[in-house]
Amino acid sequence: MVQERQILYEHLDVPNINTFDVFRQHEGYTRFEKAIAEYQPEEIAQMVWDAGLKGRGGAGFSTGEKWSFVPRDIEPRYLCCNADESEPGTFSNRYVLEKNPHLLIEGILICCYAMGIETTYVYIRGEFTLGKKMLDAAIKEAYEQSYLGENVRDTGQTINIYTHPGAGAYICGEETGLIESLEGKRGQPRNKPPFPAVQGVFMKPTVVQNVETLCNLPFIVGNGVEWYTQMGPTYADTRKDPPEPDRNTGTKLYCISGDVNEPGVYELELGLTCTELIEVAGGLRGEEVKAVIPGGSSAPILTHYELDTRLDFTSLTLAKSMLGSGGIIVMNETRNIVDCLLNIMKFYAHESCGQCTPCRWGTPWVRDIVQRIADGEGRQTTITRPKFGITESGRWGDTGETEEIYEDLDLLENVANNIANVDTMTWNTICVFGIAVSWPAVSYMRKFRPEFEAAIREGKLVTLPIAEATVPPEENYAYQQRFIPKEFADLE
Amino acid sequence: MAFIKLNDLEIEVEDGTNIVEAAREHGIEVPHYCYHPGLSRPANCRMCLVEPYGPIPGAPPGTIGPARQLATGCTLSVRTAPPERKLEEKYDAIVQTDSPRVKKAREDILEFLLVHHPLDCPVCDQAGECDLQDFSYRHGHDKSRYIEVKNVPPKKDLGPDVLLYSTRCIVCTRCIRFCDEVSGSGELGLINRGSHDEIDIPRSHEGTPIQLLDNKLAGNVVDICPVGALISKDFLFKSRPWFMERANSVCSGCSVGCNVTVEYKADGLYRIKPRFHEDINQHWMCDDGRLGYHYVNSDDRLQLPQKRVDGELVTTQWADALTLITENLSEVDATDIVVIGSAQGTNEDNYVLQQFAHDVLKTTQLGLFGQLHGEEHKFPQFTIEADKNPNTVGARTVLGSANGNVVLEGDELWEKVAGAKVVYLVSGVPERSLENAEREALEKVDFLIVQDVLPSAATELADVVLPGTTFAEKDGTFTNSTGWVQRIRKTIDPPGEAQVDWQITQQLAKRLGSEIDYHFAGEIALAIAENVPGYSDATHQNIGDAGIKLD
Repeated sequence: MVQERQILYEHLDVPNINTFDVFRQHEGYTRFEKAIAEYQPEEIAQMVWDAGLKGRGGAGFSTGEKWSFVPRDIEPRYLCCNADESEPGTFSNRYVLEKNPHLLIEGILICCYAMGIETTYVYIRGEFTLGKKMLDAAIKEAYEQSYLGENVRDTGQTINIYTHPGAGAYICGEETGLIESLEGKRGQPRNKPPFPAVQGVFMKPTVVQNVETLCNLPFIVGNGVEWYTQMGPTYADTRKDPPEPDRNTGTKLYCISGDVNEPGVYELELGLTCTELIEVAGGLRGEEVKAVIPGGSSAPILTHYELDTRLDFTSLTLAKSMLGSGGIIVMNETRNIVDCLLNIMKFYAHESCGQCTPCRWGTPWVRDIVQRIADGEGRQTTITRPKFGITESGRWGDTGETEEIYEDLDLLENVANNIANVDTMTWNTICVFGIAVSWPAVSYMRKFRPEFEAAIREGKLVTLPIAEATVPPEENYAYQQRFIPKEFADLE
Repeated sequence: MAFIKLNDLEIEVEDGTNIVEAAREHGIEVPHYCYHPGLSRPANCRMCLVEPYGPIPGAPPGTIGPARQLATGCTLSVRTAPPERKLEEKYDAIVQTDSPRVKKAREDILEFLLVHHPLDCPVCDQAGECDLQDFSYRHGHDKSRYIEVKNVPPKKDLGPDVLLYSTRCIVCTRCIRFCDEVSGSGELGLINRGSHDEIDIPRSHEGTPIQLLDNKLAGNVVDICPVGALISKDFLFKSRPWFMERANSVCSGCSVGCNVTVEYKADGLYRIKPRFHEDINQHWMCDDGRLGYHYVNSDDRLQLPQKRVDGELVTTQWADALTLITENLSEVDATDIVVIGSAQGTNEDNYVLQQFAHDVLKTTQLGLFGQLHGEEHKFPQFTIEADKNPNTVGARTVLGSANGNVVLEGDELWEKVAGAKVVYLVSGVPERSLENAEREALEKVDFLIVQDVLPSAATELADVVLPGTTFAEKDGTFTNSTGWVQRIRKTIDPPGEAQVDWQITQQLAKRLGSEIDYHFAGEIALAIAENVPGYSDATHQNIGDAGIKLD
């Protein structure tokens, strides 16, 4: 039985941990004290790099590397804390904000100290009214205790935190969409480059970090890099010569929902398998696992063939999915995948910001196609098309064979791929919302194609037995990723 | 200069040029909607995707290949690279605009652009000059795969001259950016989200407009709309673009001298659109100029000469009118004659007029008549000037070019007119009222000759009225307030028996024994170049479409 490894959540259930005094009794702010007493700012940044901390918001980009892009000679610089947690299936930041807001403040303090930042904006999802209330109260206390304001703890540095509620748009969780919204504009992502690290809030260098990422900082500083790097698996990336370690360090707040007996947020070391995770969450509710969404609704789905996939950044990338925000949704044998996809596509069609063409008009189109199939109005006509798959060279490509496919399924796959191509991982959109749409659309359709075909054939939603509903890996190219060289997948 | 390889071409472009412009300079079309050279670049239409080449990560140094992601040509600017970063050791950039990937991306984007489009080209004003039509034809699919229900957002009335057919809109946001950046008035914005995005003006909850799109540059949003979403009420359903002739000309609405294209048919002018000039009007023009052409088409235009018989103006023949004038002119002393040129007339009109005054009538008393001063309007990137005449500077210079000529304006002029016996007033100023001093002065004149295009306050006082021509009916040059000499071109024929102003003057001169004998405006321009200081280069040939700036 896997044990939880509580670090961020260790004191979460201590009564009144949201107050300064109680937090102080549980090592609160000692890590920040240690940072300013023992380390230079550059040393902290180096520690974060060495610890291999990856951003917990979704993209999994190395935090230390991101910090290194920030030009330190341009003033002012900003820290922007992304608390606009809106990915369906994700609810970990919310617990931190509501129960232990001082931990976030301490993380912000350490980041500000390391990067010489005076101003932090915390962009909180508008629906988190309690979270914002708690954080505002904690910020007030921190000001009173001179952990915020001018001359913080006699370091001479000024650190201010402002909270800003969002107005309810999913896309404002995208870092540049968030920045635009913060600046008072329409929440639409910017073209990149320039990246926020160079031109972010008010076109000044900006560090944008997720709540969970910032909450990791006190523990890296407090317990040291070595302690931190012991957690989580390390792989070797042999694409590089000599091979470079590809690290997945620390813990992750997994939000487990769906058909499990005890859904909730579990803090675990990175690198557990799906099966282990379901066990931690009280086991499966139902007979069998049909599918698992590993990283929020935008992540490609995993089938029962892939339950031994380790839930860390590298393994899930190799499995052609992503850890994303860690929102894990488990589905048992009673779930209909067409229905699931419809649910997700309704969400994305509603949340597309409408800025760029492919997403604005492609996303509702995908929804409409899925809606039609789910309503039993899928077209019975079939077309013959070249069959793509794993070719003799071991790469993804045209196999030279042809296959019969329902016109609507071909259309669904094609339209989704035209928004963002999941096979080549290229997109014609401004931001990665496009890939968040086409990833589920294409992966659900490819991996559970019999269920889509049944819906079209029967004219209604049909939930097939798992074995019949799932396309086995050896027959399907959805399971393997084209852009990662084959040798990379062999590594452990 | 950056040295780039664009498809198979090796070309040199200025640093900072984007790929869309670089390609356009060399005859390669990179289709685009949201990009407009005069506006910021949000890169939201995704139509101008191109394939840049660069070093391949992980490959041996020196190997280059296509980048993983396509890039938008509008935001991809090329710059001279340091030697170590040159591609293939000589290029600053290598870009493909017609690779299979790029072509596929264009097809895909066009398919998305058309899913909610109503395809109502047969009744759409933009058809024929529509980027969506053209690019779909050249780069798009031949059929639609979309069978779902289309969005039908409402048609909206945005302002005095602008209608929005929301169904046709592709949300490129050019119009919004124009109102934010050029006019600075910011009336337009996006409402709703995602596929329900709509352009709109601020409205109350009930839908009543809070602010209309009524700034004086509003008409430009119709020009820059790449599809038929924003439509000018003035031009609505009037003509198909391909039935109209076009001529490059200059706006006669004020002294800015915006470069325009006049679109016309045999029966009159249909539309005036701005034409790019870097130093004068950029891509824009104001609505006063854009919509100010209607007087040209007016049914009231003077078509025949008129003379006063028993206090009433009656039409007459040219020969009769000219004889009457020459008789009156030859009866008085030169000092009793005032000849007044027009700031609405061309340099050529005024040159012949001053030659007539100086050489034939031997008078040095000239005047300048024009539109009353209006208001100046300043916008962040555009100015409408207070002087509502296109050629004040030019007329003043040309009229005063001969020895001893005095060009009077304002009160001085009207004092002189009040004391004159014969006044030859070349007006051509549409809808010009007379101020009291002007009226009183003109009433005192024994014999008043007015050359005009429309019945006006001045023609009411005239003893002889001669039908002249507007800017649309003659060739010539205007000199704007900043010293740019630019050409206007004849589009339609003058109505009835109206004649070009300098030809009327020339006929009078001939009747009085002069040898002034020009055959076309360009010939006069040569004479101007010879005799008027500063105009030595200002021949029609030199001026061309770009104009020349006087020192």
